[in-house]
Formats: sequence, structure tokens, C-alpha cells
Amino acid sequence: MKANAPYENGVARRWLGDNATFYLFAAPFAALTIVMGLWPIALSIQTSFTESYTALSPAPNYIGLVNYVEVFNDPAFVKSAWLTLRYTVLAVVLNLLIALFYAMFLSSALLGRGAWIFKLCCFLPVVTPDVAGYIVWKWMYSGDFGAVNAALTALGLPEFGGVSSVSTATIAILIAEMWYHVGFYVVIFLANFAMLDRSLDEAARLDRAGFWRKFWKVTLPQLRPAITINSIYALIQFLKTFTVVVVITKGGPGTATNFVSYYAYRQFDQAQYGTATAMATILFSVIMVLAFALYWFNQRRDWR
Amino acid sequence: MIAPNLLKIGAYGLAIAVSAFFVFPYLWMISASFKSTEAILTEPLQLIPDTLSLKAYRDISVMSGIGLGTYVWNSIWITFASTVLTLLTTAFGAYALYRAPKLPGFALLRVGFLLVIMYPYMLLVMPVYLVMFKLGLLGTVTGIILFLSVGPIQFFLFEQFFRSIPREVIEAAKMDHASEARILFRIVAPMSRPVVVTVTLITILLNWAQWFPILVISRSTDTYTLPVALLSLNSELGVNFQGIMALATLTTLPVILIYLATQKYVIEGMISGAVKG
Repeated sequence: MKANAPYENGVARRWLGDNATFYLFAAPFAALTIVMGLWPIALSIQTSFTESYTALSPAPNYIGLVNYVEVFNDPAFVKSAWLTLRYTVLAVVLNLLIALFYAMFLSSALLGRGAWIFKLCCFLPVVTPDVAGYIVWKWMYSGDFGAVNAALTALGLPEFGGVSSVSTATIAILIAEMWYHVGFYVVIFLANFAMLDRSLDEAARLDRAGFWRKFWKVTLPQLRPAITINSIYALIQFLKTFTVVVVITKGGPGTATNFVSYYAYRQFDQAQYGTATAMATILFSVIMVLAFALYWFNQRRDWR
Repeated sequence: MIAPNLLKIGAYGLAIAVSAFFVFPYLWMISASFKSTEAILTEPLQLIPDTLSLKAYRDISVMSGIGLGTYVWNSIWITFASTVLTLLTTAFGAYALYRAPKLPGFALLRVGFLLVIMYPYMLLVMPVYLVMFKLGLLGTVTGIILFLSVGPIQFFLFEQFFRSIPREVIEAAKMDHASEARILFRIVAPMSRPVVVTVTLITILLNWAQWFPILVISRSTDTYTLPVALLSLNSELGVNFQGIMALATLTTLPVILIYLATQKYVIEGMISGAVKG
């Protein structure tokens, strides 16, 4: 059969052609990933080892770990790191607890089919431009004509210091951030609730298990996927809290909300490229380690 | 039976109260943009003002010497261009990486991409300033569009979809000696309509909301989009409260309309993007 030879030839050519096609498909994606992603990351890490005022020059002056030492010896950074950590723990716990119970409430038989409109409402802020949302919150907290204090006064409650007082600034931005993010966690939990094995509910009912016992032993273990996803997302989200600080508090009052990513940005803005990128690299390492630890923990741990 | 009904009413009451927390800021924002200064000071909680004032919208028709139209146009053009670019690069990239994961270099590309999306976005933007500086793209719309086109969720959504295509479909086409380009354009592409719609919507919403990279890459207000203009109006001295609310309304309204019209796609897309990512 003489048809065989051209066929073999065709296969070889096709194999080359197909691989070329795949490389062609991947090329723009690879180019963007390298130029707009990997290069800046490499540049950032490289800059963290250089002297700030030579960082942009053609021959930057490499000074080893000096920037890192400087950052760790900077009391403002240590305070900022502590504030960030405290805020993150508070925000993750509150957001996930509220999201969990709200999702449980929305998926319960109490609301029936009307639940979709409430789900729609809580997800609305998630798709809203964050700058616009936070600006509205900033003005709602305003002492002169903000809605928050007007409402509290109308109800006969004491005024809320909002973002102008050191003691309440953290809570004020926590509320604004919860407004913006919690809908996302609710929706992830809702997706998980929709997949629960209802026959186990029936078994728990027959066993006369109380609400908490059932929640603890039956519902919670089945929510592991949503808890894993939400805790990783929330952790990363709140560790790098940024926009809300830029829009509402600018790190203040004093340094009450001067979180690490905002502090790093301020340093960068003041041309302290070396220390700014050192802070960025530190925060990146912390986020990576925590995210992996959490992932590992949630995968391994037997929920009891 | 009265008790279950009472319980139901109580449940709806609670759900409405919680929803009010989410929705009230929008109503307050829109209302404030139409209020007179007097009404704002005397009735901060009144949502429907006695008289409608359009002064705030006239005030923001020119900001920092640039017409509102420029900001609107920048927003639309940057969102459109970066959405198209994100879609094309992530769709083709995810397809190639899914179909031929063993090609030399592809495993490395995947690891590199994962590293990029794990790097905190806000901190990535700072060195991007240095990159734009080196590429001569500082202050250009091209630079902004290119940076916004790096899409994490989008890649995962596409990859997840391609994984769901039955292997037999592609195997059958290969038996017929169809070229890879032909398989993609004739067989896979027509099946991909729903995922393309979802990714398009999510990308539009995400890119419309972007502000930090745009602020960092810009050298003047010429390349500002609506959120960035809003931020700079907010930090100006001698604030015009109603003007800020009017601009916030203009920035938010298109997004709300798109969301309300397509909520099912958007929410489900975000969920599957998160679950995979």
C-alpha cells in the first residue's frame, strides 16, 4: 500500500504542527504572566536587597539584608505588624462566624423560596467597586451628617466615634470591610449547604440529637470544603487590608489603622523602595506560610 | 397552627433587617447625590429628598480640569480592552496547558502563574511601577490594560470547564485527523459559550472596579478611570460631599445593573472560580 508512507509522514508533521499550535496558544498568556507578574515579583525581591536611593539607577547598590534588619528594628513596623495580625484574627473569626450562621439561616426551611433575594442583597457589595463602597461608609460615619450617628441618636443610643477616635477606628473599618466581603463567604457556605446529605439530618432527628449536637457532629464536618476555602480566602483578604485604609482612615487616627500593606505603600510613595519591598517580601512570606499551613491543617485534621 | 407562621414572619423580619445593612448605603448614596446641602444637614436619614437637586451632577462635569466624559470613556475603554485581552489570553493559555501539560516549559509556566496569583496584589502593583518605567509604558493606557489582563480567576474557570469536556469528544476528532486548531475552533469553542459568558461578566465587574494599578501607572489624571477619579475627588481639600456621592453613584450604577441582570451567572461563576482557585 503506497498510501501508508504519506500517512506516517503526515502524522509526524501533524505532531509538530499540533505542538506548535499549543505553543502559539500559550504564548500570549506566558508573555503576560512573565512580564506583568514574574518580572515585577523578581524585581521587588531584588530591590529589597538594594539601597533605596540607588534602586532605580542602572547600577543599584546591593546591601544584603540591611533593609530587612532596618524593617525589623523599626518600632512603627513592629506595631504595624501587630495591628495587622490582631485585625486579621478578629476579622476572619467574625466574618466566618457571621457568614456561617447567616448562610445556615438562609438555607433553612424558614425562608423557603424567598431566600434568593436575601442572597442577592448580601452579594451586591462584593461586585461593587470597593472605592465607591468605602467612600460611602466614610461619609456615613461622618459626625456632622453621617447616617450612622443620626440613626443612633434617633434610637436614643450613644454616639459612635467612628473613624475619628482611636478606640473605635478599627471597629469602624471592620464593619465597612464586613459589609464588602461577608457576602462572598455567605455564598460559598450556601453552595456547601446545598450539597449537605439530608439523610444524616433525618438520622440525627431519630437519635433525638439537640440543635448544637447536630450542628457540631453532623453539619460542621460536612462543611469542611467551605470552611477551608473561606478561611484561606479571608486570611489572605484581611492580612493585606488596604483599600479601606486608603479611602477611610489613611492609617489614622495616629497609627491606629496603619496596617502593613498600607505602611509598605507609604514607604514606597516616599521613595523608600528598599524598605518598602522588604516589607512586601515579608508579608508575602507570611501569607504563603499561613495559607499552606491552613490548607494542610484543614485537609489533615479529623473534625470532631 | 400559629407558631410556625409567627416563626416565618420573624425569620423574614430578620432577613430583611440584615439585607437593609447591605442595601442601605446604596440608597443613602443615591439620595445624597440629589439632596441640597440644607437637606443633608437637617435630615441625614431621609432617603427621598423633598426637592431634587441636580447641582452635584453639574459640579462633577469637570474635575481637575478634565471633563467627566474622559473618565467615563477611560473606564469603558480600559474595561473593554482588558476584558477582551484577559479572555483571549486565559482561554487559549488554559486550553493549551490543559491539553498538552507535558510540553517542555508548560509545567514551569503553571508554577510561575500560581506564584503570581499568590503574591498579594497590592504589593505586586508597586514593582509594576518599576516594570512600566523600564518598558516606557508609565502613564499610558496600554500599560494599564496590559497589567489588568493578568487574570487568575479567569484561568481557573476556563481550565475547570475544559476538564469537564468528555475525552471521547476530542479523541474522536483526533481519529478523524482534525488539526488541533480545528478541534478548538470547531468543537470546543461552540461548547464554551456559557463559560465565556460567565468569565466575561466577572472580568467586566472586576476590571471596572480596579483603581490601585491605574493610580500607580498613571502620570496624570488623563488616564484616570471613574473609581480613581472618585478617590482623588475624595482626597481633595474643600470637599463637595454631594459631588462625591454623585460620582460614586455613576461609578456604581453600571455594575449594579449588570449584576442584577445576570446575577445567576456572576454568583455561580465566582463560586466555581473560588473553589478551584
